Amino acid sequence: MQTIKRVLLAGGGTAGHVNPALAIGSAFASSETRLLFVGVRGKVEEEVVPREGIPIRFVRASGFPAGLSADLAVFLLNLFIGTIQSLAILLGFRPDIIVGTGGYASAPVVMAASLLRKIRLIKSRIYIHEQNAVPGKLNRLMGRFVHQVLVTFPETLSYFPRNGILAGYPLRRRISRVRREEARQKLDFIIPEGRKVVLVFGGSQGSRTINHALVDALGHLLAHRDQLYIIHGVGLFKSREYNALKDTEARLRRIYSEERLKCIEGFYTYRPYFHNIELVYAVSDLVVARAGAGTLNEISVMGLPALLIPKPNLPGDHQVMNARATEMAGGAEILYEQVAPANGKLSEWIEGKILAERILALLQDDSRLREMSLRSRSFLNTDALGRIERRIRGIGAESEQNARPSIQATDAASLPGNAELLALLERAFEEQPTAYKPENVISQPQDLEYFKNRASALLIHPQWQQRNLGVKLLGLLHARKRIPALAALFCDREPVSLFKRLLGGDFVQVGFIRRNIITAFVRLNECSPEVEKSLLLGLEDPYYEVRAEAARAAACYSARLSSREPFIAGLLKLLASPVIDVAAAAAEALGKLGGEHDALPVLLSMWNSKFWKVRAAVLRGIFYLVDRAEVTHLELLEKQVPRFVLTSTDFTPRFEIKSAYQELMEAVSRSKKAGNAQ
Amino acid sequence: MIYFIGKYLHPNFEFFSFLRLVDYISARSIGAALTAILLTLFFTPIFIRYLQRNGFVDQARATGIAAASDKAGTPAMGGAVMAGCVLISCLLWCNLANPFLLIVLLGMIWFGFIGLLDDLAKMRARSGDRGLSEPKKLLLQAVFAAALALLLISPFSPLPSSQIGAFYIPFLKSPVFDSVWFYFPIMFFFVLVVGNSVNITDGLDGLAIVPSVFVVGVLGVFGYLLGNAIWARYLNYPFLPGTGELAIFCSAFAGAGIGFLWFNAYPAQVFMGDTGSLAIGGCMAVLSIVLKQEALFLILGGLFAAEAASSQIQDKIGIRWLGRRIFLRAPLHHQMQHKGLAETKVVIRLWIASGILALAALATIKLR
Repeated sequence: MQTIKRVLLAGGGTAGHVNPALAIGSAFASSETRLLFVGVRGKVEEEVVPREGIPIRFVRASGFPAGLSADLAVFLLNLFIGTIQSLAILLGFRPDIIVGTGGYASAPVVMAASLLRKIRLIKSRIYIHEQNAVPGKLNRLMGRFVHQVLVTFPETLSYFPRNGILAGYPLRRRISRVRREEARQKLDFIIPEGRKVVLVFGGSQGSRTINHALVDALGHLLAHRDQLYIIHGVGLFKSREYNALKDTEARLRRIYSEERLKCIEGFYTYRPYFHNIELVYAVSDLVVARAGAGTLNEISVMGLPALLIPKPNLPGDHQVMNARATEMAGGAEILYEQVAPANGKLSEWIEGKILAERILALLQDDSRLREMSLRSRSFLNTDALGRIERRIRGIGAESEQNARPSIQATDAASLPGNAELLALLERAFEEQPTAYKPENVISQPQDLEYFKNRASALLIHPQWQQRNLGVKLLGLLHARKRIPALAALFCDREPVSLFKRLLGGDFVQVGFIRRNIITAFVRLNECSPEVEKSLLLGLEDPYYEVRAEAARAAACYSARLSSREPFIAGLLKLLASPVIDVAAAAAEALGKLGGEHDALPVLLSMWNSKFWKVRAAVLRGIFYLVDRAEVTHLELLEKQVPRFVLTSTDFTPRFEIKSAYQELMEAVSRSKKAGNAQ
Repeated sequence: MIYFIGKYLHPNFEFFSFLRLVDYISARSIGAALTAILLTLFFTPIFIRYLQRNGFVDQARATGIAAASDKAGTPAMGGAVMAGCVLISCLLWCNLANPFLLIVLLGMIWFGFIGLLDDLAKMRARSGDRGLSEPKKLLLQAVFAAALALLLISPFSPLPSSQIGAFYIPFLKSPVFDSVWFYFPIMFFFVLVVGNSVNITDGLDGLAIVPSVFVVGVLGVFGYLLGNAIWARYLNYPFLPGTGELAIFCSAFAGAGIGFLWFNAYPAQVFMGDTGSLAIGGCMAVLSIVLKQEALFLILGGLFAAEAASSQIQDKIGIRWLGRRIFLRAPLHHQMQHKGLAETKVVIRLWIASGILALAALATIKLR
């Protein structure tokens, strides 16, 4: 066993990175070991670390920017300055062990340390702990320079084939079961006796969606105010755009009157951050939280039932995967964020009423809570911290190689990704367009629900290709509840940059997205007022494919439209379109929607239209009119139709040998079936 | 081969004096064309049977146009036999010591080989979409372009040193600039674009081969004129000694192309495949470069340029970036089909268009 005198902890940005560092630090804390924390100024660590009695030094660092931009230069500059600062700190402190827990703050330290080791100025051993299933870019890079990468999930090992070690998520030893009564007394607020206590928080930074939803939910919970008590961790997030604490306070005052606020204060308290979260856990009966690895591990150790609201669109969708794993083990329920229109824009949100209902439903079912609590506790049975400590001290490590500690994200690999799912559904749809049902492709209702949520989360993705993917998926998944979201996306007319517009672009919701929304409406087969409004708008769309698709959709919904007149007017305008697809689709749609007086004369006047495809469509349109018995003067029609120009510039060849081949093969398969039946 | 035999025999033996004909480019051109036609007419049916036996048939990709699905199962790679016949005919009739000829043949073979790899990959994957990946194809083509650039500035360059960096445009006597630093990037781009343009055009029966014959034929005329000191001076072109031999290559190509059309005409019994279309693209690119007629290609090969441009604009700018179609369909011939023209009609109209463009390109010879 080596003697470890100085341990340097580096990491930060969010508590998800700081807490594991503190946990690991606590394992080494003793009278002969000195600890030093290196973090970034203005983040969680600045407040949290000194409270733990650990000295902290600051370096410059910023996050790895997505894509090439000016941010990249800022990032590189910060990394450079941070590394220089770290060099000074390292040479001063001369640690035996360096533990980086990710978040951008650990990068400059690890970088400087490996540099100093190269030139043999320090002899520290360097470790990284990775909390997420899918490691960040910086940790992936840093992994090459360090002794070992301690990972939380077995899946992560493949990113660090040389030096990855499965360790699990280290929890501060304090987060173990504190007695409830004891905790109650230590807290700085008073929880009246006999209340069910709900802890709601969205991670150390807070979550805007959860904060909004909880404030909205309070009104619905008001009726149960003598049975429950809500503790709200608002989060430390501060930026120009969103300040978690101020926004929450403002929202409370905006929604509720003075009197109601008074009532609410009786069962509700909020704090930006809990420095003694173990006390809060100890008094809680239910936790409503994000599904990050840290939170889940803490909840599990405390044996708390949870209502998880996973954050969507993360790498590997890992929060959702975590949440699903916990749900399957029986320790939690999931509440998915919805993507829904608000002030004309789509955004993530949770309806306050639904959150309130879900909380109440859980609290009122004691046996369910007890069951969840038990399962939550048995779900995780780990001593990740001990394992990490032994690994770093270099004792008894080998035998633990194969232990599978911590929760495992359900195999993301076993569920298809979005593009894969789309291919799967499209194939099924092409095989049997009429009998198609998503349930036939996806047998598990839970999976279907998950896919619907994952697809609708794509609707607010910054890349149009991903939004487009989401639209297609929602149509094929028959997600009827998402019609308002699709309609809002369709009606979003925010223009693209001037440069793109000069080249033929129009709106941020590009042509393909708008076209596919209309297609999705047809697949969803539900004619709501929102759909009708979108279709009318679609008939006037600047992009021809949308106009054509809207005309086809109008024909599909012909029997169910609330009022046909605006549609007929729109279609008549499209009939004159120079784009043959549009004119043809409009002609056929008029046949399904129109009548003898509005549609027929115009259709007949197109007897010598330039393109045969349009003329053919007009003839089909008139056929529909006759078929629907809309035409009364049939003799007149009989005289007028022969005027039509029937010359065509195209034909469909018929290859006799191919027909003979097909007939033969069909006969063979028929006989085969008959033979099998006998 | 016949060239060398004739060269040896006619001065030495009175009996073979008629072999003086091999001194005339015109005579050897006609011989090469006839040889190539006969060879393709003879070998293509044999090759088609071979392809059918081995299942080397077209794996059509789903374009959504009904006529395309009817074509799945037609033997592809017919271009290999065509290129082979051009090669044999050239071996027989050309002066194989001519560096221009060797460069062009090498271009055809290299590009044809890339196409062959692509075709074979598609056959193996049983899918029209899973051939050689686009970056791989472009890389192999770029290697050739780089090698060609190196050759042109090396001491072994067949071009006179005054012409290497010169860039001519039609209707102007003198080069618009003369600098390898400007010229080589253009040349590089030109090889990649022209090399692939035939591949993009090759989508309907007989569509690619006839315009190719027009283009290569006109380039053959250029080769003949530029390689003749009197004509070159008369027409105010730079004299490029040795390019006359290219006229023979072009004749052989035209012959093989016509022989191929015999089988490729609607409804096709064989497709040229990527082997054929890239081989044609490769030799068109190299011919234009060694004859210093790169800019002329915009007129002469206007059809190919339009097909390539429409397909790239649609895919790269429209579908991938703006999220919309810019044309109803791309490339050009699919657009015409979508507007309701039968395949045969599209093909013949585009033949006429390319014929007009070829004549216009010929007219630029005198209009300077």
